[in-house]
Amino acid sequence: MSNQVPLLAARGLAKRHGRTKALRGASIELGAGEILAVTGASGSGKSTLLHCLAGIVRPDEGSVVYAEQRLDQLPEKRLSELRRTEFGVVFQFGQLIPELTALDNVALPLLLAGVRRGKAHERAGEWLERFGVRGQEALRPGEMSGGQAQRVSMARALVTGPKVVFADEPTGALDSLAGEQVMTALVHTARESGTAVLLITHDAQVAAYADREVWLRDGVVSEDATALEVAQ
Amino acid sequence: MSTRHILLGLLAGGPSHGYDLKRRHDERFPQARPLAYGQVYTTLQRLVRDGLAEVDGTDSDGGPERTLYRSTDDGERELAQWTGEITPPAPFVTNEIFAKVVCAILASTDPADYLRAQRAAHMDRMRELTTVKTAQGADLATVLSADYALSHLDADLRWMTTTAARLTTLTAEVDAA
Amino acid sequence: MIKDLRLAWLLTRGSDRREWWRVMLTAVGAALATGFGFAAIAVASVRGQVSTPYLHGLLNQPGQRAGVVVALLLLWVPVLGFLGQCARIGAVHRDRRLAGLRLAGATPKQVRRIASLESGLACLLGSAVAAVFSALLLVSAWQRPPLLVWGGFAVVALTVPLLAVLVSVVALRRVVASPLGWVRRVRPGHGRAATLALVVPAVLVGLAALLIVMRNTGPGATAFPLLVFSAVVLTGAGSVAVAGITARTIGRRLAARTENPAVLLAAERLQADPWATARTNAAVLLVAVVGVGFMGVRQIFLDGVHHPREGLPHSPEDVAFYTTGVNLAGAAVLVALMISLGGLAVGTAESLATRRRGLAAQAAAGVPQEVLGRALLLETALPLAPAMVLAGIGGTAVYIAYGLMTEVTIPLLLPLLVPVAVYVSCLLAAATSLPLLRRTVRPAELRYT
Repeated sequence: MSNQVPLLAARGLAKRHGRTKALRGASIELGAGEILAVTGASGSGKSTLLHCLAGIVRPDEGSVVYAEQRLDQLPEKRLSELRRTEFGVVFQFGQLIPELTALDNVALPLLLAGVRRGKAHERAGEWLERFGVRGQEALRPGEMSGGQAQRVSMARALVTGPKVVFADEPTGALDSLAGEQVMTALVHTARESGTAVLLITHDAQVAAYADREVWLRDGVVSEDATALEVAQ
Repeated sequence: MSTRHILLGLLAGGPSHGYDLKRRHDERFPQARPLAYGQVYTTLQRLVRDGLAEVDGTDSDGGPERTLYRSTDDGERELAQWTGEITPPAPFVTNEIFAKVVCAILASTDPADYLRAQRAAHMDRMRELTTVKTAQGADLATVLSADYALSHLDADLRWMTTTAARLTTLTAEVDAA
Repeated sequence: MIKDLRLAWLLTRGSDRREWWRVMLTAVGAALATGFGFAAIAVASVRGQVSTPYLHGLLNQPGQRAGVVVALLLLWVPVLGFLGQCARIGAVHRDRRLAGLRLAGATPKQVRRIASLESGLACLLGSAVAAVFSALLLVSAWQRPPLLVWGGFAVVALTVPLLAVLVSVVALRRVVASPLGWVRRVRPGHGRAATLALVVPAVLVGLAALLIVMRNTGPGATAFPLLVFSAVVLTGAGSVAVAGITARTIGRRLAARTENPAVLLAAERLQADPWATARTNAAVLLVAVVGVGFMGVRQIFLDGVHHPREGLPHSPEDVAFYTTGVNLAGAAVLVALMISLGGLAVGTAESLATRRRGLAAQAAAGVPQEVLGRALLLETALPLAPAMVLAGIGGTAVYIAYGLMTEVTIPLLLPLLVPVAVYVSCLLAAATSLPLLRRTVRPAELRYT
């Protein structure tokens, strides 16, 4: 990894929310096709780090470089396009549109990219199949179980063939069996398609799906387990 | 863990010889410590001595001669009793990690480094087990035994995290005693 | 009571901005209702022939005064619609809060009392402000107003908050009965209670207005006002029904075949809750029916005033008198339209605020804001179009009937522009939420559950 140019690299990220400093000089690198887990206690700034890396939030300080572009300097329109085409995001819940069917939810990013509805449905169906939720196409998010909804979310995140998937506590709202199925499906498809995954979690069993783990503590990323330093 | 009961369980499916029992054990219980052939042999002899198993004959199958064993009625009763018996939930806490932390404090060294290294080792093992269970075509027995280990390692990890955060208090307590 | 009051205050103070918006807008609505009520009472209390310097002598004759009273009373209809929309602001949040209170051990009675205090106090605030200004105006304009007027004032000022309390108690009955279901769920109710709370008083107001008109016109001339009222009520109700039914049909049709993501989003939302838009648009549609009818009648009437077919032309004073009367009615229609549009804007904003977390997630996933904005406008535009056509037809029927009675040429162009203008202003009202959308999709919303 170290002798290659990383796919996504952030240096010295700082971000405050009001009076609290969520990030204070966090640096992180993600290689192409790498599955990286970011762990840390609640409130350690994990979600903010993900938002900065995915171009959802602009950091107050520091740089985010993706494929030779400074994400922290791109205009919002371009960022939105990047998130739509090259990134996929999976949150704990809430990214599915409640009024749309599973099939339309997955097809939406393709429709936004100008793909014809028929073709988009076909591809969305294939992705639902890969995540083992074939046959649920006509269900709306309210009619699915949490595990099903999360697999549909992952299908939606991967349908455009992104280079990076950002997953923020993707199993946070699931029981352990559903969580395991969701994670297995994500890791399989990511490995197959060579998609890099940035996985945010506070659960060591989920982090164990990654190739590498970094810790976030008080807004700073560390490569080894300095997260265990005595808290005072 | 009772090897004799596991062998009785494996014999419940029908007569078997020692080598076959070892192979089936290792297959059935992946990720467990593999049985040594010598251990299988001595355990079988003890089972025969106690009347729980008996020699069923020999089988050469073209190769060297091997003794076939089968379970007796007493053996079946013993097995039924064992499978229904409750395993005592952690009667004695044998926690090597905790012992090392306390001993490090007694020897006036900082256990934080040790905990950090231990955590990394645990995490490496968890990644290994996860890779095993998510491999294409992994059977359910493999997944379940990996899950068992993962849950235990995860419990250790969580314990280490909270311990690391409370080392100062622990150090004060151990030193005062 | 004091304890509950303190608790109500504590809860409101700790709640977020939207709750304050509800309180403020509810107070504004209550102030409007009180103001119109006061004006109606003041005008109605004048007895016999008088001479006033206001409005070119329009208030001098009892008959014309009755017309003014009716107009003022009818203005309550859009105000009620507006209040209905305001009650929905942050409703999910409030319901959860009250359900939480119930789970924490409050008795149903206490919860009801606290909720009633919240809405009642907001309305009382609005009423009080309106009452003070009205009273000052009254004293300065009318040296010795009769005691009856003050009595009427007091009744109105107390009725408005009382009505609000009643409505909130009815609306909260489910939360109070099964609090658990409400703490967990984020789904807004069907608002049947809210609809009833709008329809029942609206019908009562309409009947009252009808009675006043019939009493003042004598037995011979009751047919026309009756016709107008039934036409307006029927087409208004019809338009609302059409808006609801077409919302569902349009939603299903478009959702099945559209290639456009914005249209897909709007269509699926319409299909999921077709009556939401109908409810939001109800007051606007009613005003549109009245507006079309009024514009037609106005043109026919003024035509008659300026060019009488027989006899001498009217004196300039008379022309000014009639023109003022008609324009005053026009102003009332315009005020009604503004209030209804306010309600529409509030409804759109509230729909955005309720969905803010999901919208933020969409934006984070790269759904362009323009697409979300277009979907928002389409949600209003799609079901409103056929309903507006029906409203236009209803209004046209009213003024054509009037035109046939007076046997003059019937204007077509100007009245028919009214539905178009109302439609456009509805879209503009919905578009006022677009800046809110921009703020709603901030990623900060992703952090809260």
